[in-house]
Amino acid sequence: MISLSTLWGQATTTAAPDPKVDDFNQIMSTAFLIISALLFVVVIAVVVRTNAMLTRHLIRVESEKHGIPFAGDNTGVLPVEEDFFTRLRKKYWEDPVPQEKEGDITLDHNYDGIKELDNHLPPWWVNMFILTIIWAAGYMWYYHFGGGGADQAEQYKQEVETAKKEIAIALAGKANAVDESNVTAITEGSGIGEGELIFKNSCAACHGQKGEGGVGPNFTDEYWIHGGGIKNVFKTIKYGVPDKGMIAWSSQLKPADMQKVASYILTLQGTNPPNAKAPQGEIWKEDGATAPADTTQTAKG
Amino acid sequence: MSNIQQFQYDNKIVRAFGLASFIFAVVGMLVGLILALQIIYPSLNLGPWLTFGRLRPLHTNAVIFAFVGNGIFMGVYYSLQRLLKARMWSDTLSWIHFWGWQLIILAAAITLPLGLTTSGEYSELIWPLDIAITLIWVVFGINMFGTILTRRESHLYVAIWFYIATWVTVAVLHIVRSLELPVTLTESYPIFSGVTEALVQWWYGHNAVAFFLTTPYLGMMYYFLPKAANRPVYSYKLSIIHFWALIFIYIWAGPHHLLYSTLPDWVQSLGTVFSIMLIAPSWGGMLNGLLTLRGAWDRVANDPVLKFMVVAVIAYGMATFEGPMLSIKSVNAISHFTDWTIAHVHVGALGWNGFLTFGALYWLWPRMYRTELYSKQLANIHFWLGTLGIIFYAVPMYWAGWTQALMWKEFTPEGTLAWGNFLDTVTQIMPMYAMRAVGGTLFFVGVVIGVYNLFKTAAQGSFMANEAAEAPARPAPVVHEGDHWHRWIEGRPMQMLLWSTILIAVGGIVQIIPMVFVDSQVPKISTVKPYTPLELTGRDLYIREGCVGCHSQMIRPFRDETERYGEYSKSGEYVYDRPFLWGSKRTGPDLWREGGKYPDSWHYNHMMDPTSMSPGSIMPAYPHLLEDQLDLNGLPGKITALRKLGTPYPKDFEKYAVDNAKEQAQKIAKNLADQGIKDPTVADKEIVAIIAYLQRLGTDIKVQPK
Repeated sequence: MISLSTLWGQATTTAAPDPKVDDFNQIMSTAFLIISALLFVVVIAVVVRTNAMLTRHLIRVESEKHGIPFAGDNTGVLPVEEDFFTRLRKKYWEDPVPQEKEGDITLDHNYDGIKELDNHLPPWWVNMFILTIIWAAGYMWYYHFGGGGADQAEQYKQEVETAKKEIAIALAGKANAVDESNVTAITEGSGIGEGELIFKNSCAACHGQKGEGGVGPNFTDEYWIHGGGIKNVFKTIKYGVPDKGMIAWSSQLKPADMQKVASYILTLQGTNPPNAKAPQGEIWKEDGATAPADTTQTAKG
Repeated sequence: MSNIQQFQYDNKIVRAFGLASFIFAVVGMLVGLILALQIIYPSLNLGPWLTFGRLRPLHTNAVIFAFVGNGIFMGVYYSLQRLLKARMWSDTLSWIHFWGWQLIILAAAITLPLGLTTSGEYSELIWPLDIAITLIWVVFGINMFGTILTRRESHLYVAIWFYIATWVTVAVLHIVRSLELPVTLTESYPIFSGVTEALVQWWYGHNAVAFFLTTPYLGMMYYFLPKAANRPVYSYKLSIIHFWALIFIYIWAGPHHLLYSTLPDWVQSLGTVFSIMLIAPSWGGMLNGLLTLRGAWDRVANDPVLKFMVVAVIAYGMATFEGPMLSIKSVNAISHFTDWTIAHVHVGALGWNGFLTFGALYWLWPRMYRTELYSKQLANIHFWLGTLGIIFYAVPMYWAGWTQALMWKEFTPEGTLAWGNFLDTVTQIMPMYAMRAVGGTLFFVGVVIGVYNLFKTAAQGSFMANEAAEAPARPAPVVHEGDHWHRWIEGRPMQMLLWSTILIAVGGIVQIIPMVFVDSQVPKISTVKPYTPLELTGRDLYIREGCVGCHSQMIRPFRDETERYGEYSKSGEYVYDRPFLWGSKRTGPDLWREGGKYPDSWHYNHMMDPTSMSPGSIMPAYPHLLEDQLDLNGLPGKITALRKLGTPYPKDFEKYAVDNAKEQAQKIAKNLADQGIKDPTVADKEIVAIIAYLQRLGTDIKVQPK
């Protein structure tokens, strides 16, 4: 298998080894081997059957030439043994009594004219049944009787841990690595426009199409419940305020998207939309002088 | 030959059940079509009675118990008489059975839109109807066994083994599932709660599929298919093995409806492995059906009856292979809660039950009316519309289920949900929902054409109410030398009944008894408390509106679900849930951690008009919750009933329950007022109860233990 894999690799890849390409080669060469083996079996079967057929044909021709009646398979004069593949088929795959001979196996049952034949159970069906039972025993052993299979709580832990590692790799050194400690407001470029789109989709239902407030507070005045400024707004979006019905968006919005939407929200100040909700919270000054000391606590809920 | 006896088969009762079957086929499928359209056009939800949540159980009950149920009785009453060479034991019982069953259906059609439901899937009917079903089922049983015991045939044919197993298993399932404590004439609480009730429900629900939609239809297949094909049954041995294996194994597979739920792992695994072991016994029936057609395949192309039956048997084979595949946990993780399940059950219901019923109807209608089928061409049109209908139904639903599951599970590389807004995953599959309605329409039109064809057949023929027959009196069952050992039990119906009962009891006992009696199976959580009276009232409204039809309350231990909904569910959280409301389909998001997620006013606005809070939502609006008076009068009775069942409400709490509820309602009304909802009477409206319930959901484990 290794040599095949290498061969395939030489034919299709360039010099640099790539783990994904290797996987692909491995799969392809395994498939190739399996298909070859199957093909081999089929070819052998065809050869054997053809040989048997030709032999019978030859006997028929010869017997007719000499005036001996050719009696076919059933006389015992010319014993025709079932070949290996026929026996294999009958034992493991199917073994019906041919329709012409079904009189031999018709039971003397007669229910409103319905008769029953005494055909064997189809061998492939029996084998399938046995295999599923073996599989079932193996499954129970693997998960419950010492096989070491993880239960679903354990599977969940593993899933979360794997994801943590992958996320750390994905975030390493990327713009998405922004968090509440280093986030800055975007003031130019397409970021604000993208932030507005996110706002309309995710925020407007509660905070109003123009940020005028509704179920949630108004964004267009100077008052903030959980602190204004990019860092506080970012933090409130990220962790939410579950007690007051603001959900945490960290599982739905990427950090960069939260930065964009927070930046957009800050642009709404002073727009004076119609139907604005009354101010809530405290006046926020950008120098941070009135930042409530407990904002962090509240924001983390 | 002096002991030849003359008697008559009763065709009138067969015709009655047949008529009922195809009338309810039209009704049940029409309701299904309306549901399909409600998903595409939410404005078709004509509240409060004709919303999706209330109509869905009407559709499932009408198809299962009215269409297929009457189909079963039609098939059983026709074939049983002929296979036993005897008229039904009592004409009176036959007609009590018929009218009793139709009255129950009528009662269901009235109570379900009224919101009177227990919410268990396929066991929604209220307790007086549960009792009525039990009585009628007993009537059916007496009539059937009376006929069997007075038969002129010494042995029982395989079809009758299936009828016997059907009768006893449905009886056991129905009685255990309906164990409930009545509170009023229309309300009751189940004696099991939470995870245990969930197990009992799916032991019942799964085996309703097995012993109402499958075994009686296998019995019918064993009669009508060899008759229509005029061929001997392929293998008697196969009949024996697959019958006993099927009824023994089927019963164990129920937990596959609860994979990755809070059901203990060992019960889930039993559900999985028995489902896999079920493939062969199920396929035994398909094989015996298809192989019986050896030598008749040339006629299948020309005979609509055989065509319907062949597609029915193939649909059966497909569904019984797919079912076990869906029971493998890693596949179920994707398929569960999606439209994949909907596709799966419709292949079974439309293909197997629908087509076999119509095959049988087309075969026996002309015979009972002593004529030919009115139009073979119309039957062929029905066949093709039906087949295309199934394909146009199933393929989009598979596609939709698969697509939505992958969207639910997709993360960005940064670790956020790629489709954080649940609604986006619904919007994505709307074209598939539209396509499904097209498929359903095709099938429905086919059914209407079929009904027309049968009607015209009846009009051109003359009905033979009593069909003369003769047979010698029953010889004693003699087992001859060389007979199969199984011949012994075929002559002894009561032993057959006994052994069937024992075999079908084992699986349920092994799974359910430990859940009920072994405390460690459901670990307690100290902060989980009973619902307050107002929450309890809200919960009953949630049940009334059928919210469970579209919203699950079961967060599975997958990262995508805990990111989307919150901490995964624990079995101890549900100990006071009577009935459990885990649901089995997420047309909307899971609600188990809904509590505290949004402000009260969000829910108020959302119930009034879901699109105001969630633009594009397909949820029906519930303005009547904002207008209808909150009824707290039933509370003391509910508290008493729940305490009897083990919910630890304090002594004499009945006296304070209503005041307690009013107090909580005032608090919510104040919240709403603070949040700008201007309705001074809101504290007396149903909406406050439902808000109270929703805000409680899944919050108990967040409370710090004292």
